[in-house]
Amino acid sequence: MRRLGILVVLLVGMELVLPLGSEGQGSQALLAFGFLILAAYTIGEVSTAVALPKIVGYLLSGVFFGPHVLGTLTEGGAAGLAPVSELAIAIIAFLAGAELRWEEVRDRGVVFGKIMTAELLLGFVAITAALFAAQRWIPVAAELTGLEMLAFGMLFAAVAIVHSPAVTMALLTESGARSPVARTTLGVVLLADVAVVLLFSLVLVVARVIAPPSGESVVPSLGLVVWEIGGAVLIGAVMGLAVATYLRFVGKEMVFFGVLAAFFALEVARLAHVELLLTLLVAGFVAENSSEQGEKLRHAMERSAAPIFVVFFALSGAKIDLGQVAPLLPLVLPIAVVRAAAIWGGVRIGARWAGATGDESRYVWMGLVSQAGVAIGLAAILAEAYPGRGPYLAGMLLALIAVNESVGPILFRHALTKGGQTDTAAEASEKGRPAPAAPLTS
Amino acid sequence: MSAGLLLIVIVAGAYLAAHFASEWMARRFLVVSGAEYLLLGVLLGPAVSGVIQASTVDGFAPFLTLAFGWLGALIGAQFYVRDLIRVPTDHFRVAMTEATLVLLVVAGVMGGALRWWLGASWAEVLISAVVFGAVGVSSAPTGIAVVSRRLGTRGFLMRQLQVTPAMDALVAITAFGVLLAVTHDAPPSGAPVPTPTEWVVITLAIGVVSGWLFHLFVGGERKIDRLFIALSGALILSSGAAAYLRLSPLLPALLIGVVLVNTSPARHEIRDVLTRVERPLYFVLLIFAGAAWQPDGGGWVLVAAMFLLVRGFAKVGGAALAARLHGHLPSLGSRWGWGLMGHGGLAVAIALNYRLYDSSEMAGLVFTATLVSVLVTDVLSAWIVQALVHTAPEPAAATASAAEGRP
Repeated sequence: MRRLGILVVLLVGMELVLPLGSEGQGSQALLAFGFLILAAYTIGEVSTAVALPKIVGYLLSGVFFGPHVLGTLTEGGAAGLAPVSELAIAIIAFLAGAELRWEEVRDRGVVFGKIMTAELLLGFVAITAALFAAQRWIPVAAELTGLEMLAFGMLFAAVAIVHSPAVTMALLTESGARSPVARTTLGVVLLADVAVVLLFSLVLVVARVIAPPSGESVVPSLGLVVWEIGGAVLIGAVMGLAVATYLRFVGKEMVFFGVLAAFFALEVARLAHVELLLTLLVAGFVAENSSEQGEKLRHAMERSAAPIFVVFFALSGAKIDLGQVAPLLPLVLPIAVVRAAAIWGGVRIGARWAGATGDESRYVWMGLVSQAGVAIGLAAILAEAYPGRGPYLAGMLLALIAVNESVGPILFRHALTKGGQTDTAAEASEKGRPAPAAPLTS
Repeated sequence: MSAGLLLIVIVAGAYLAAHFASEWMARRFLVVSGAEYLLLGVLLGPAVSGVIQASTVDGFAPFLTLAFGWLGALIGAQFYVRDLIRVPTDHFRVAMTEATLVLLVVAGVMGGALRWWLGASWAEVLISAVVFGAVGVSSAPTGIAVVSRRLGTRGFLMRQLQVTPAMDALVAITAFGVLLAVTHDAPPSGAPVPTPTEWVVITLAIGVVSGWLFHLFVGGERKIDRLFIALSGALILSSGAAAYLRLSPLLPALLIGVVLVNTSPARHEIRDVLTRVERPLYFVLLIFAGAAWQPDGGGWVLVAAMFLLVRGFAKVGGAALAARLHGHLPSLGSRWGWGLMGHGGLAVAIALNYRLYDSSEMAGLVFTATLVSVLVTDVLSAWIVQALVHTAPEPAAATASAAEGRP
């Protein structure tokens, strides 16, 4: 009842305020930001009450209040919050990198690599085949030759196999999980984040040869892709060392410094044309593993960035246009099922190959279903690369992402709970190691 | 190198330099101030180096609006009634009288000066004059706090100096908030046109409703993370709503601060959260306030000098008169107003808020005069307070004891 009261007050307040003012100097974005923090968080709590992860609530609030349903958050307001989303992505990537310990990578890196290889390959092949099978129902693909269909199928699959580091991190911090299933899922997701960017770029080059795009298109060269990855590792490592140096010699104003460092990395990555997520992942990893103070910074950033994450997921939801997604669902739902089955199969094979535990073999796949920002970005590149057929395929991908974005967090949360994997502060304390930080999304 | 990147590098480097320099200066020379960040902003801004362009300042407007709101809430959080009633009421009487006198004198004299300078009518200079008054009232508490800690003085004079900046802030924020409400332009066509009184009510309602939302949101919980989300949401919402309606974010936020510390069982945690975030926002506010400075011709020097003089006279004279009117001249001395000379972040916030809403020459003059005043007075404020306390009148102790009911 109290939560309903909050939503009513917020909605009535917005209805009263919006006609009386005018956009100027980002004030509408700030208003939307404040509204979303409270509204999305409230719906996140409601979703917890019905045993759903909070981020599903955040996403749903974005859908409801967004420009395509209630319109409380206008397109202008959402566009004004783009820097918040960018900052959130940067912070999430940094925190994700900081979650990984060098010892873990050294001891378990092979396991992560084998599981990732198996699930990505199987997913890639299965989704390409699924698209072949669905060719007659895809309007833009009906007249394609077999080879051209193969090219588009591979492109589609290269985006469809992408996971979501943001959702993974959010759920891990929400649950405080640090079990083998949680750690392996995080490791695979982070490793796959690098691999899919490489794979997508390779496939794009191959597809361009097989099915040259009509009209002007933007296709990155292979050299550029290598620089995107290699440069990101290099720049990220330098940034991580700089952060560690700050922590060692200054170690004050963590929040200010963390946000400044994230903005700095955003700018550097943009200027140097390197992969943003990877840059921040490496920076977080290096900072955490080369400084004894890294944990303090991570906790400060997690606490202070919580409102940013709430709004980030709500904005992701606001991008989902139900009117566009609904007609594509009959086409996309079977593909989503194939994808999930391929991930399941791939993880089983990979886990056996790597000699992983039974729990990892059974539950890790559930953490790999989610999709969000990275996949949306690659779908946009696909649409640009193929101005003729690309936009329709990108639309299908967005519908697929919407499905996976909704179902994925529920599955992952189930996986973390099912195996008794959540780890509270008290439990952590009993085991003699530091308690997990305050939840990102609490 | 892109402007954005250069900006981040310089701000970070300068922050570190200023951080170390200011710590050392505070320890060594008793100079405590945020003026170095303001100066840094001026150096980076279009008026000097041009590293920060005017468009960049506009791009950071939401952060500045949020900084106004956060500052307002932090000031409001000082007004915890149970603490206030322990302070003898004479302190409040003296402080309120001083604040009102300074507001009237500075607004009146600076309004007259603007009329003469720009050849405008009273109606045209009214808003700028009142903003001058509101800016003039505000006093920085930092120097007073440092001297109080350093000397451990707890006499009547020091207590008065501690109470007065809070009352000054209350008067300044209220005057500025009400001014923007009553002189509000009509909203976009098609919308109902609120009267000036209704705009005042809207300003107050934003603060009260946001405070109420906080309570609804938090319920009985006291976890710091939940408080942080609720507080951030309420303050961002109220600041955004106020800015969207072109009202001052300071007044609604001040109300939120007052409401929360007086109604929430977690008032200490709320103050902690407010303080934790205030510093980075304060740096951003000062740096971008400096960067927003774009003097128009050379006339600002005269106006700024005049504002410094008028405010100085008003503070010293107003404080002495207030002490005399309430019978405390013997304990406070006729020069106690010197202790209020420091001009801090609130003055910058009010002037910058006004500048963001109004691009006229008059608004520019108000803003420029404020920056000059802060740069000149804030650096010296702790010295002035220390000198004042050392030369405080001897009878102070007896009078103070009597006023506070001690033997």
